[in-house]
Amino acid sequence: MSNRLTRPETLTALGIVVVAAGFLVPAAALRPISALLPVAMLVGLIGLSVILLISDQRKAAAGEAAAPMSKSPTRVAGAFALIVAYAVATDLIGFYVSTVVAVPLTAFLFGYRNPLGLALATVIVVGAIWLIFDFGMSQEFPAGRLWAA
Amino acid sequence: MLKHIKSATLAGAMALVAGAAFAQDYPSKPIEVIVGYSAGGGTDVMARTAAPFIEKYLGDGASLVVKNMPGASGQIGVTEAANADADGYTLGTFNLPGMMARTIDREAAYDRDSFTYLANVVNDPNVIVTTKGGGLDSIDKLVEEAKANPGAVTVGMSSLGGDDHFMLIKLQELTGAEFTIVPFKGSAPARTALMGGHVAMGILNISEVAEFQEELNVLGVATEERSDFAPDLPTFQEQGYDLINGSMRGFIAPAGLPEDVQAKLLDAFAQLETDEEFLAAMKATANPVEVVTGDEFKTLTSDLYDLAKGVWEATPWN
Amino acid sequence: MYSELLHALPEVIGFSNFAAVIIGVIAGIVVGAMPGLSATMAISVLVPFTFGLEPLVALGLMAGIYNGAMYGGAIPAVLLRIPGTPAAVATTFDGYPMAQKGEGGFALQVAVVSSAIGGIASAFALMLLAPPLSKVTLLFGPSEVFWVAVFGLASIIFLLGGNPVKGLISACFGVFVSVIGADPIYGTDRFTFGQLEMLDGISIVILLVGLYALPPVIDLLETPLKTDGVESSKLGTEPIWKAMPRMKGFWKTWLRSSVIGIWIGILPGAGGSMAAFMSYNEARRSSKHPERWGEGEPEGVAASETANNADTASALIPALTLGIPGTAVAAVMLGGLLVHGLQPGPMLFRENPDVVFGFMWQFLFGAILLILLGGSLATNSFARLLNLPRPLLGSVIIVLMLIGVYSIHGRMFDVYLMLGFGAVGWVMDKLKFPLPPVVLGLILGGFAEENLRLALRIGRGDWSVLFQNTTSLILVALTVAVVVGPIVKRRMIDRRKHAES
Repeated sequence: MSNRLTRPETLTALGIVVVAAGFLVPAAALRPISALLPVAMLVGLIGLSVILLISDQRKAAAGEAAAPMSKSPTRVAGAFALIVAYAVATDLIGFYVSTVVAVPLTAFLFGYRNPLGLALATVIVVGAIWLIFDFGMSQEFPAGRLWAA
Repeated sequence: MLKHIKSATLAGAMALVAGAAFAQDYPSKPIEVIVGYSAGGGTDVMARTAAPFIEKYLGDGASLVVKNMPGASGQIGVTEAANADADGYTLGTFNLPGMMARTIDREAAYDRDSFTYLANVVNDPNVIVTTKGGGLDSIDKLVEEAKANPGAVTVGMSSLGGDDHFMLIKLQELTGAEFTIVPFKGSAPARTALMGGHVAMGILNISEVAEFQEELNVLGVATEERSDFAPDLPTFQEQGYDLINGSMRGFIAPAGLPEDVQAKLLDAFAQLETDEEFLAAMKATANPVEVVTGDEFKTLTSDLYDLAKGVWEATPWN
Repeated sequence: MYSELLHALPEVIGFSNFAAVIIGVIAGIVVGAMPGLSATMAISVLVPFTFGLEPLVALGLMAGIYNGAMYGGAIPAVLLRIPGTPAAVATTFDGYPMAQKGEGGFALQVAVVSSAIGGIASAFALMLLAPPLSKVTLLFGPSEVFWVAVFGLASIIFLLGGNPVKGLISACFGVFVSVIGADPIYGTDRFTFGQLEMLDGISIVILLVGLYALPPVIDLLETPLKTDGVESSKLGTEPIWKAMPRMKGFWKTWLRSSVIGIWIGILPGAGGSMAAFMSYNEARRSSKHPERWGEGEPEGVAASETANNADTASALIPALTLGIPGTAVAAVMLGGLLVHGLQPGPMLFRENPDVVFGFMWQFLFGAILLILLGGSLATNSFARLLNLPRPLLGSVIIVLMLIGVYSIHGRMFDVYLMLGFGAVGWVMDKLKFPLPPVVLGLILGGFAEENLRLALRIGRGDWSVLFQNTTSLILVALTVAVVVGPIVKRRMIDRRKHAES
């Protein structure tokens, strides 16, 4: 029974219902005319998700196996974590430092191990960005909040 | 003990020397000017046009760097400027009455005491316009129509809680007439709806209608003296309506600036008023100049805050 | 007016002004081709920089970038299914299937030729018809614009994909995202949770980069293949003049899509993506074999790419004459004009004819240059880039996404928001929720609401104001025809089959 509830579509549908219902709370404080469109959409989302949920459960009852979301969930989770970490690092310790580390690190961890290629790619990417944005257009990227404090 | 006192005096003396040196050296590094709007907006153009002139008057190879922090009608940028270090190396642009109205109609992390008021540079007075062929070609006719049919005259303007809105409130209070407000996202769409006859009347600023005088009936300008942008256009006072209102843009720094730095900046900004080259550059970008510096600027801001507060208490707009 | 047009020409073909257009087009193609970077971002970065330039050099750069980026966006759309710009979403529908069939090279050639044709048509509309077309814009008040938005939203029906429930969930999600920010009338916060950064609403670029670029990047990292499926040997590029004869049947689509693109361009607010979606739908509707669409039909690429370039110059018609830009990019460009003291309005054409008409010429040259600069050379070099080892390609795209989103407003908040949308996009991608309805919902949802509410203010709360004039009624009729037409048609075919059997 429990694996009927952990089917990806069922979980997604439940998630949408919960989030949409959550947004209905602040919507209640709005003027009626301001709330019209957002509430219509939230109610729509809830209704449609319930339909999705029912149809997915019917499939489950018919014994149809749900397709897995990913062949290698650890790689997906790892990739996502790495991207988030890169964004946070940019924010905290600065764009150029983070990028110089992140580009080769990501490629290395996910299977590209040629040291020359890694070095070359990093130099080209960071160099081109610096040349065009910083040098050419005096566009600033985050310098790192840790240093500023 | 003696040693301690000695070193303390020494440190104090050194700090004094350093302080003096600081003012003499100011500016010893680039000064950042935070603009709360995207590059290319009216406020941004003002800041970028004024920057080289301020550099010139500060002397000693001073350099101003404009930094755009757009969002939330300038609130993000002005909040940043208000909370920056008060060392004279961060200035900001300031819009009235918007920046004061935001402290009333939403939560703001600054108030009117958060700033050192440097100079208001632009004063763009309000004008009232009507569609061509609508028959309401004078302010008298307009007021008469709005009194005869309360709410029947639709007014296109940019968002609530701005100078256009306060102008209309003043007109309503002065005449007792009643209008229906249609707040567009910005002045250009309001002006377009007016040209297409979708609204009957509009409240805009003179710089926004200067190029459109043939397409619209411009009924008057809300200043004491006629504007350079349309010398043939009578003021409302000339027509018997005591209406003065406009949108203002200027420069502020965080509160608590060192006195000598403040004096140096005020002096530089004050010289803008008589710089012909600056005035010409501002005219070319449709910015009517009216320089008000220091305490006068502070009073002006305070008055506008009181006005906005009064309007908000009588008729809150959201 | 036309003599002034000719008078402005010699200035434009001067060395520095012409070089600006060439550099602009190349830069635009590169920016458009990089997943994560967009034309809006490129021009916002450029505007402050142009302060010190001659007006025609600055404007030439912008005109070039705009034209180049609208085509450049097709390159990753075809090769990676990541639209390089919001307007290239519709290009992925048939472009990516073509690339998978080994026809990627041809898809890009169709894209470049169609883009150039759309751009040229649009430049001519701007040069020759700007004053009369701006009169058309004036006909569209809030209630009319509301109906245009509804018409656009109705075409979501054709983008729902295999599972209508999922398609509608996508659409509702898109529309809901569009209402986040300040209320269009009162300015009160809606679902911003006190974040000032969200007060102006969520930029389409942030959503697009998150939804469309992040899932493929995760895929690139997930499966450790050596290179991507599309190899340059399989790209099937042949010289462009050899490919041209295969496109001769497209002239109807080119014509129709140009008209649609120009028309959407002169209506403020909707922009390139709506033009591309609408022209794609119309082209499919009139196709003899609509069942092939979505499976790699070159005409689909032609329809989308013609329309998204056909609204570039025409979006400047309301921008130059009325001060209301037709697209987000045109809005940023308007700032660039203001910087050089060019105030929009009817006087602009009289006061600065050389600059304004010169700018128009630059649009025309930009569109023509696309074929020369965006042809085989650019296309092949980008296709090579995509042959990079997958993990490396993935990590480079991540960097581009970050700088592309950061540079729009210069803040990290947008980057985090983009990552949030990326997570949502990954789930949607895996569970086969269609993404186009989200994009269209975001663009048109808030736009429809704003205009509806303005119309109701004008009508003082009376809903009948929406049906009070001919333009509105025509738009209502069109919308009904688009929605009901296909259903009626199918019924009739079914009935005939029934009668026959």
